[in-house]
Amino acid sequence: MLTLTIAFRNIFRQRRRSLLTGLSMCGGYILFVLSTSLLEGSYGNVIDIFTLDHVGHIQIHQDDYLDRPKIYKTIKDQAAVRAVLEAHEDVTGYAPRVYSPALAYAGDKTYPARVIGIDTALEPTVSRIRQKVTEGEFFSASPDADGYYTAMIGRGLAISLELSLGDEIVLISQGADGSIANDIYLVGGVIGNRTSFDRMAVYLPLPAAQQFLALGTDVHEYALLVDDRNDNRDIASVLAAALPDLTVSPWQEVESTFYRTMQSDKQGNHFMMGIVVFIVFIGVLNTVLMSVLERTREFGVLRAIGCRPGRLVQLVLLETLLLASFSIGIGILLVTPAVIWLTEVGFQIPEPIDMSGVMFQHMKGELNAYVYLMPMGFIFATAALISLPPGFRAARILPRDALGSH
Amino acid sequence: MQPRHLRLLATLTWLLVLPVAQASEADARAIVDRMEQLYRGEASRATITMKVETPNYERTLQMTGDSLGRELAFFRILAPRKDRGIATLKRDSEMWNYFPKINKVIKVPPSMMMGSWMGSDFTNDDLVKETQLIDSYHLDMEESDDQYLITLTPKEQTVTVWGKIEYIVSREPLLPVAQIFYDDDGEKIRRMSFREPKAFDGRLMPSVLEMQPLNKEGHRTIVYYDDIVFNPPDVTEDTFSLRNLKSRF
Repeated sequence: MLTLTIAFRNIFRQRRRSLLTGLSMCGGYILFVLSTSLLEGSYGNVIDIFTLDHVGHIQIHQDDYLDRPKIYKTIKDQAAVRAVLEAHEDVTGYAPRVYSPALAYAGDKTYPARVIGIDTALEPTVSRIRQKVTEGEFFSASPDADGYYTAMIGRGLAISLELSLGDEIVLISQGADGSIANDIYLVGGVIGNRTSFDRMAVYLPLPAAQQFLALGTDVHEYALLVDDRNDNRDIASVLAAALPDLTVSPWQEVESTFYRTMQSDKQGNHFMMGIVVFIVFIGVLNTVLMSVLERTREFGVLRAIGCRPGRLVQLVLLETLLLASFSIGIGILLVTPAVIWLTEVGFQIPEPIDMSGVMFQHMKGELNAYVYLMPMGFIFATAALISLPPGFRAARILPRDALGSH
Repeated sequence: MQPRHLRLLATLTWLLVLPVAQASEADARAIVDRMEQLYRGEASRATITMKVETPNYERTLQMTGDSLGRELAFFRILAPRKDRGIATLKRDSEMWNYFPKINKVIKVPPSMMMGSWMGSDFTNDDLVKETQLIDSYHLDMEESDDQYLITLTPKEQTVTVWGKIEYIVSREPLLPVAQIFYDDDGEKIRRMSFREPKAFDGRLMPSVLEMQPLNKEGHRTIVYYDDIVFNPPDVTEDTFSLRNLKSRF
């Protein structure tokens, strides 16, 4: 307690110096928080774009379907999967899917396509498929009077095969029983635009796709959304424990390339901010060192009346940390409106980003504990580190020499 | 010695060796030729059941197979219902598949020739090229008491994926026993066995063919000849036309 009192007194002894040092720490903190918020926010934005577009927060497959997709690696006991997903309160939506490469024919043109079978009722609860219908309308699960199912095709395929609404599209693929899958579908909708990830996709209602590929009622994938995407890995491990025969992958594994790129980009940013904070703290080091040197006599007296060297190190450390705390406190007050603005409004991007037909116009920040705490931790750690050399210097002062100095 | 003498000596040696080699090669040719004639005589119509077994699925197909000479063949699937009517036409070294559901004839491109035929362990190439063995391969024969072992090595200009084919033929009755296919490294890739000889229309021939890829565990395709009729009146040149391929039946 006494140490704390002394530390306080020392900070307020040279108010102008403390204020300036505090301001530079405060500035470093604000800069760090803003850049972290913006980085987290823009990545969060990108993550939202693709997880909500198609990937989902968690995917469930049979075995290693994710790495080595094979048509017969299917999820068979769907009742169990659905029971587990229904029971978990954080799962907000799930959808079964089947996939297969295929050849698409229209007239005398042929193009490779990707067949995606989706549940017409469940899929819109997981992906933006309904919003991405740019022409025609979202299909129904049942065939028309002549027995033809409706397909929705990617914009790229529509252009390449010169297909428009109501046209026939012929698909040929390999069935799960080794047969040659072949059937005719009617184009009922066009999805996204020429740059969508599913520009070459043919969406079929789930029963149509299962029939086409001779899959029975099996599916390849369950995609699901959770309440808070930051919790998705914890939820994935809970689900994995409940479904031991299946592979449960958070999006970080599904999109592992993107995830690794993002991680290394974030590390790069932390490194840059680390350098900035370090430069700030060279100034702080100077301040602390000065305040120790000008108090040589004082420390000498403390030592002479029996103060232990460790206590002096503690004192210097406490002073710096107190100053850092004040700075961060003020920093939080100053930076919060800016972070809130970034989160709610964000920078207007000159060229809006178009993801599969859904436009994103603002670069936004993120407001959460991590954005505040990570820079805070870094500042405190650096403050502690740079107060050690002056601290030891104070501890090494000999009362005999010190009392002789001025 | 003068060059002229050298040449003479070479010719003499050649003349001495040649008849032996030729005799063996000729015998082998005759045997292989006969084996090939078994299934693809003049004209024939077969009713076939094909069973495909893999670790992931099992499938049984029923079909008819018509052939005329070596160049023409025509298969049509009768069951299961889902695949009924799917047909394959082979003319010389070209192949087409017909899918009635989408009413489309699709030519099998050269790049797909090594692909599976109808999900079986037979390749499209098996259907097209099998009959050209004696023209495309050097034949070499070893005889044992009850079998001939004919080794086929591709001629230089032959385009094939096989480094060697071993053809085992039983002496009495003169019927094929097995074909073993090797790749360029001499590794066994697959084995086709001929079993259960039966008399069809007065001709004795194996009624069961089993194709087993040796590099894919749990895979095999068994073809059962349920019936073969030789020279049926309705198998003519017209049977093997693209028009007939597309005809509904």
